[in-house]
Amino acid sequence: MSMGIPEIENAKLLFIFGYNGADSHPIVARRIIKAKQKGAKLIVVDPRITESARIADMHLQLKGGSNMALVQAIGNVIINEGLADQKFIENHTNGYEEYKEFVKKYTPEYAEPICHVPAEQIREAARAYAKAETSMILYGMGVCQFAQAVDVVKGLASLALLTGNFGGPNMGIGPVRGQNNVQGACDMGALPNCYSGYQSVTDDAVREKFEKAWGVKLSNKVGIPLTHVPHRVLEEKDEKKKIHAYYIFGEDPAQSDPDLNEIRETLDKLDFVVMQDIFMNKTGLHADVILPSTAWGEHDGIYSACDRGFQRIRKAIEPKGDVKTDWEIISLISTAMGYPMHYNNTKEIWDEMRSLTPSFHGATYEKLEALGSIQWPCRDESMEDKGTPYLFTGGKFSHPDGRGKFFATEWRPPCEVESPEYPYTLSTVREVGHYSVRTMTGNCRALANLEDEPGWIQMSPEDCGKLNVKEGELIRVFSRRGSLMTRVLPTERVKPGATYMTYQWWVGACNELTTPYLDPVSNTPESKYCAINLEKIDDQAWAEQCIKDSYESIRKKMGIDTAKKEV
Amino acid sequence: MGKQILTTCAYCGAGCQLYLNVEDGKIVSSTPANGRTNEGNLCLKGHYGWDFLNDPQILTKRLTKPQIRKNGVLEEVEWDEAISYTAERLSEIKAKYGPDAIMGTGSARGPGNEANFVMQKFMRAAIGTNNVDHCARV
Repeated sequence: MSMGIPEIENAKLLFIFGYNGADSHPIVARRIIKAKQKGAKLIVVDPRITESARIADMHLQLKGGSNMALVQAIGNVIINEGLADQKFIENHTNGYEEYKEFVKKYTPEYAEPICHVPAEQIREAARAYAKAETSMILYGMGVCQFAQAVDVVKGLASLALLTGNFGGPNMGIGPVRGQNNVQGACDMGALPNCYSGYQSVTDDAVREKFEKAWGVKLSNKVGIPLTHVPHRVLEEKDEKKKIHAYYIFGEDPAQSDPDLNEIRETLDKLDFVVMQDIFMNKTGLHADVILPSTAWGEHDGIYSACDRGFQRIRKAIEPKGDVKTDWEIISLISTAMGYPMHYNNTKEIWDEMRSLTPSFHGATYEKLEALGSIQWPCRDESMEDKGTPYLFTGGKFSHPDGRGKFFATEWRPPCEVESPEYPYTLSTVREVGHYSVRTMTGNCRALANLEDEPGWIQMSPEDCGKLNVKEGELIRVFSRRGSLMTRVLPTERVKPGATYMTYQWWVGACNELTTPYLDPVSNTPESKYCAINLEKIDDQAWAEQCIKDSYESIRKKMGIDTAKKEV
Repeated sequence: MGKQILTTCAYCGAGCQLYLNVEDGKIVSSTPANGRTNEGNLCLKGHYGWDFLNDPQILTKRLTKPQIRKNGVLEEVEWDEAISYTAERLSEIKAKYGPDAIMGTGSARGPGNEANFVMQKFMRAAIGTNNVDHCARV
């Protein structure tokens, strides 16, 4: 996020795009409500009537998969109605003329049939966004989990450039990131193209610095993204390019990744799969080695919040069982492979990381102890440098010339659209009580009681009427890749033709249905759009028994004594 | 007497600060702390999301011992065996197909920044590949 979470409540206008804070980040959503109470205008762009949409001044209930057309139509209106911040554009940006030329055809009337949003509503939203004293964009997976995702992010950033909404407090653009430490895993270089602090593996000077520190020659070839693994295992013909071993650490791709059938096939075909985790999971069922590690609460460290805030985690209890910290396990394997690694504690690791990473260099354990939280960049170890609440101060951007770059491109429809055989769309979403693949929340008594297998499919009352199904009834859902049973949840929040499922369930695992199509730049799968069909099940008693049996069989595989523990 | 440990919530990216209340080596509850982002508030996951540490065995079992698949079945082994077996198999594959035949992941969840730094260092320095990524994409 270019801004900090506390700034949200002080923006004069919040433009919330494909982001459902109430379910994903309740404590961030609280800032949205506070902003509203302080008089901010709220514009929500979402195909569902989310909680934010309910309190919004304007809700653009667009059709899924039309983001780029809408974003550019807003840019078109801002330019055509003379609302652009010409001074900011002149002083701080590049590429305005090309942008202006490109979005010419994206009139609200052009976008209306694509987005299913009235042209006049697009105009009103654009005017409000451009005219507010400070406008802040918050976006979520409703932007990122499409095959056209990076384009939309750049398109949204272009709206902020167009209106001078960068460089000061309470403005900017904020991807509100999902997992507790997804920001941190990126910060630390768990990415195929960069070391810690986003230092490129192809930059010779950077690589030499790491080679010197680590005493070994390093590869200058960008690695492959996680989502390419199935292809590199199942389809790659060139033996040299094939992936043969997969070391999976704190993830459950056999539940979280799209097209689970393909993932299971991949895991089985690999020569060697290592799974390092805290609980048995679906991936573990395909592993050759299982390495048990300590969990949150049992070890020390630092997380990065979604607004670049480093914060400490601390060990509260002794772990039970014969487990080790993740970094100790990895160090032991490394040493056994002939590259000795040894650390006594997380501070030693953090200090090594800081010594190699200028933008995090000033964020010492001591300073974190004193301040509680430090938003990077924080370059200097002295107490004077308390970090950076918002980026691009005074309109200075991270491109070499310090200028922000406009971006426009054609809208592309989603990769798999509705057809007579598969006339409905499915998007995967979150719910508040369970987290991610529920490795943790599913094993918390208070939270497990909130919702259980097989989960729900959100459908419009019209579609429920058409299929003659009612709330709680089991229904069959199928796509070109798989099928499952789940419960019907009629809701006015969704439009006819569109359906939504959360992705943590084993029996009702919506990733059996999703597509593996990826954004060409981020390689993020299109989890927000695929074509499905729905079928009423006449024998509900039989279906209920199937769910019960299937749930019990998976739990048994996971080592749970189901005779003692009722489903 | 119990103790209170200040930490960061393990769930979403909001980074809420909370105290874990520990009695007799067990977490019994959590209390919101006055963090920069949460200002004394928690959602239900912050309030109740620590219970998995008590391993109530609802869905899955906590892993408590290394395991190796032998003749198709996962068997519990000692750490020494698990580490040397893993190192051997990875070295074999590296020798046979090159370092780029191995893929590793980071973790966006519990382990933390230091563990991710060590993992990417391992993949880059010990294995010799940039094939390291995590579920930021998923």
